[in-house]
Amino acid sequence: MADETTPGTGEGQVAEVAAPATANPNSPYAWPQERRLLSSRVNRIDGTLKVAGQARYSYDMNRPGMLYGRILRSPHPHARVVSIDLGPAKATRGVRSALAIVEPGAKVMYVGDEIAAVAAVSEDVARDAIRAIRVQYEVLPFLATVEQALRPEAPSVFQGGNVKESQVEEEGNVQAGFAAAAHVVEQAYNTQVQTHVSLETHGCVCEWDGARLTAWVSTQAVHGTREGFATGLNIPQADVRVITEHMGGGFGSKFGPDVQGITCARLAREAKAPVHLMLDRREEHLAAGNRPSAYARIKAGVSAEGMLTAFEADTWGTGGAGAASGFPLPYIYTFPNRRRVHRDVYINAGQQRAMRAPGHPQGCFITEMLMDELADRLKMDPVEFRVRNLPPQAPNAQWREYFKIGAQRFGWDKRHATGDPTPGPIKRGVGCAANRWGGGGRGTQAQCEILPDGGVVIRCGTQDLGVGTRTLMAIITAETLGLPLTAIKVELGDSNHPFSGGSGGSTTAPAVSPAIRVTASKALAELAARVAPALGVPADQITASDGRVHVKGNPSSGLTWADACRHLQTTPVSVNGQWEAGLSASGTSGVQFAEVEVDIETGVAKVTRILCVQDCGLVVNQLAAESQCIGGMIMGVGYALYEDRILDRNTATMVNPNMEWYLVPGMSDVPAIEVMLMNQPERGVIGIGEPPTISTAAAIANAVANAIGVRVRSLPLTPHKVLAALDGERAGGTL
Amino acid sequence: MKPFAYVKAANEQQALAALSRERGRVLPLAGGMDLVALLKDNIATPDRLVNVKGLDATITAADGGLRIGAATRLIDLQMHATVASQYKALAEAAGEVGTPQIRNLGTVGGNLLQRPRCWYFRNEEFPCLKKGGARCYSVDGENQFHAILGGGPCYIVHPSSLAVPLIAFNASFRIAGPRGEKQMPAEEFFELPDRNLFGETALRADELVTHVMLPPATAVKSATYEVRFKQSHDWPIAFASVALQMQGATVGSARVVLGAVAPIPWRAPAAEAVLQGQTVSQALAVKAAEAALADASPMSQNAYKVQVARTAVKRAILHAAGLTV
Repeated sequence: MADETTPGTGEGQVAEVAAPATANPNSPYAWPQERRLLSSRVNRIDGTLKVAGQARYSYDMNRPGMLYGRILRSPHPHARVVSIDLGPAKATRGVRSALAIVEPGAKVMYVGDEIAAVAAVSEDVARDAIRAIRVQYEVLPFLATVEQALRPEAPSVFQGGNVKESQVEEEGNVQAGFAAAAHVVEQAYNTQVQTHVSLETHGCVCEWDGARLTAWVSTQAVHGTREGFATGLNIPQADVRVITEHMGGGFGSKFGPDVQGITCARLAREAKAPVHLMLDRREEHLAAGNRPSAYARIKAGVSAEGMLTAFEADTWGTGGAGAASGFPLPYIYTFPNRRRVHRDVYINAGQQRAMRAPGHPQGCFITEMLMDELADRLKMDPVEFRVRNLPPQAPNAQWREYFKIGAQRFGWDKRHATGDPTPGPIKRGVGCAANRWGGGGRGTQAQCEILPDGGVVIRCGTQDLGVGTRTLMAIITAETLGLPLTAIKVELGDSNHPFSGGSGGSTTAPAVSPAIRVTASKALAELAARVAPALGVPADQITASDGRVHVKGNPSSGLTWADACRHLQTTPVSVNGQWEAGLSASGTSGVQFAEVEVDIETGVAKVTRILCVQDCGLVVNQLAAESQCIGGMIMGVGYALYEDRILDRNTATMVNPNMEWYLVPGMSDVPAIEVMLMNQPERGVIGIGEPPTISTAAAIANAVANAIGVRVRSLPLTPHKVLAALDGERAGGTL
Repeated sequence: MKPFAYVKAANEQQALAALSRERGRVLPLAGGMDLVALLKDNIATPDRLVNVKGLDATITAADGGLRIGAATRLIDLQMHATVASQYKALAEAAGEVGTPQIRNLGTVGGNLLQRPRCWYFRNEEFPCLKKGGARCYSVDGENQFHAILGGGPCYIVHPSSLAVPLIAFNASFRIAGPRGEKQMPAEEFFELPDRNLFGETALRADELVTHVMLPPATAVKSATYEVRFKQSHDWPIAFASVALQMQGATVGSARVVLGAVAPIPWRAPAAEAVLQGQTVSQALAVKAAEAALADASPMSQNAYKVQVARTAVKRAILHAAGLTV
């Protein structure tokens, strides 16, 4: 049974509530005014390892005597397990352990729900062995689609009902708002279910040494996963060590050991051998999380002057079997009078998990489509219309400024009115959309060692999801100690290191960066105290720069780093430090512009260009921050055009649980991407993992409408939907 | 994966000797681009694989045309000078297959004999008609990529990129078997599901396609036009190959074949008749495209494919004639 909690994700998390919008310039650890490495373009310190194939991911772990685990999953969308016979699997040659994950009597709620597992000498043997397990099911009625679940005569599949209505969100006087409207738009919009498609799948390698468990896990939270193993296996947390040296993405779906992690540990204990249990691509699509779908029926009003007056929405969506599907709506723009009701609709499909800016891409797409429809009614430029209806300008609300900068850079003035008048089948169009996110973080602890031979180790129990956290730690340590990047040895991804929280909600950089700054500063202070007698000045008069430890303001009066460290003799500097307020903040804003080409004779849309204007406070590594933007936008292209979890409507079985029919953008589908990163050093560090993916699909969808003159109000924008929308305008299509 | 025996055949004779009359029991392995996935997904469960990489992999001049060994890699076909210059539609189709990795390992024979990509056929959970089950799940299911022509009782679309231009060029296949060798027109090789539900071709389990024979193509203008959603690795929504036998500026005779629209490569005689004796123009291409799809019978979710296929035919004709779209 899927039972998933995702701590540390979403913008509503505790860590962000108290985070201020700006940094404290009077912090004793304040970021340097003159930045040497900070905000520059720094290559990944593990980049060479990765391109050479030498970086060890959890998937790559190969322990002596290691076995391979596989999980048997339900072929039924809803059933009661009557019996499980592991006998034939246990009798299979090469099988070392087998266990049931659920007991007879338990219910399975979707195709892919876990039933039992085996560990065997090879993955092939394990795959064959799970097929030998005999399970009897009592097949039960199921719901394969939202439409099926919403029918009055639908079978009652979920306890408490198939539909859960939320509280009404209401502000102002909707009736009065519509009375003040000169134009009213009533439309329906929807988005699909998207899966995370992390390149490294979920899973781990578990190895027992007596009562102690070491687990190499593909996880976004080594500490949280340690706790998860301890709870799941009923063993002390002190007996668990979780290691994540390198990781191939999680996007919100990897915060604990999950069922497969606990199963892997149990198999390893039973077999008395290390077990490797990583999911395959099909399992990823079925059971490892997804972004819920979203549907909205909206009525919105605007005054003749182009001011939003009223908003009324009935929304729903599915997060799968018993999981929520909420999203923010309306998004960013100020509707003074609004009312919204949301319903979670449950179907027999894998449950949603937090996915890169949970809820925001859905809310953004729906709101930004609506904004363009309203602008069209007004015959007003979409940027101008947006700017009129934005919330007041603030450090974390810079959209006015960014729309202006972006429009100029993008060539927005060359935009034609809705519908490209150019003859021929290829129509071009442009669109825009805005995003917001929190991105604050806190609570990280770290350790810094300065060794007598001059070596520096910075150690932190965070994890690098592939985003460059390892490099970020090196940059801040090197900057603080006045050393080159290569002088710093970074250790992370180990629950034996000082605590850091899960990497969700774009919290990692704002939680880790201050901790590293504080800890490295304290280590330098300790070094200064130890060499002060030799330099003949008080410790607080000593600093480090350019590889020297010297009297402040007088670099020639001092020692080389190596000579200074020799004064440590046999006792290294070893200090611990932690996150402090005043070095990081919360709240980002960004806008994106997209340009598309649509072939109206085939319905094929191609994104040709995207520009993003994005802030994230103080930029630590320009290159890594740009990479986050680029990656987020590529994911947004997939969300806009290609990605769709397609369930067979009659069996609730996914027909495309692979990467052949679940389409993600390939190299040839990636447009020209330009990133305008707005550095805000005065705000301190803010996370940027999520915001860049939010508004890409909305901008693309608006660009498609601008190109073809009709609106496709449903993601993904497939040829099927584009041609259907065109057919609505011009019966029979064009040729 | 079901365990299987493995035989490496040094030549055609050895390969034939290792095959079996019973369907699915012994399967030839060339590039393995399709077969390995079928094995891993438990769709194919043979007792024995016969490595046929040792079959002829050369392209040679023969009877004014070309003789292409079935073991020829797709990349070698695409890059072959004569193919590129005289059989443009074939070179273009070869260049559209899969990815560079697939083209570097996949073979001509494998491309022609690969199994359908229908997601109901490929997913073990669906015991579909083609796998001996009771129903075709696409009929009232997710049929956006299924057949708009020639379907029933199974609605796959034929997956081969090469079969379509080969039929446009009126190619034939050399087939070797225990009863000797024979030559069969490519057009007759592929069989509709109402005739052959469990396979897609006339090839018997104990036979091999060893060569493709291409007739001369002098004064033939040709093109393949493929419509797919993604530019990188993706399957076509529809495509068309057109071969125009020119008589001066007019079309003496034409062959128009559609791909990804029917359970077999779909020849469109009505479109060919429109082109015959005419000078190609935009209007003529539109008329031919409409004729090609006149009998289309879409399913619940794939009517858009009719429009896409019309566009593919129109553009293939225009490209072949050297006109811009």
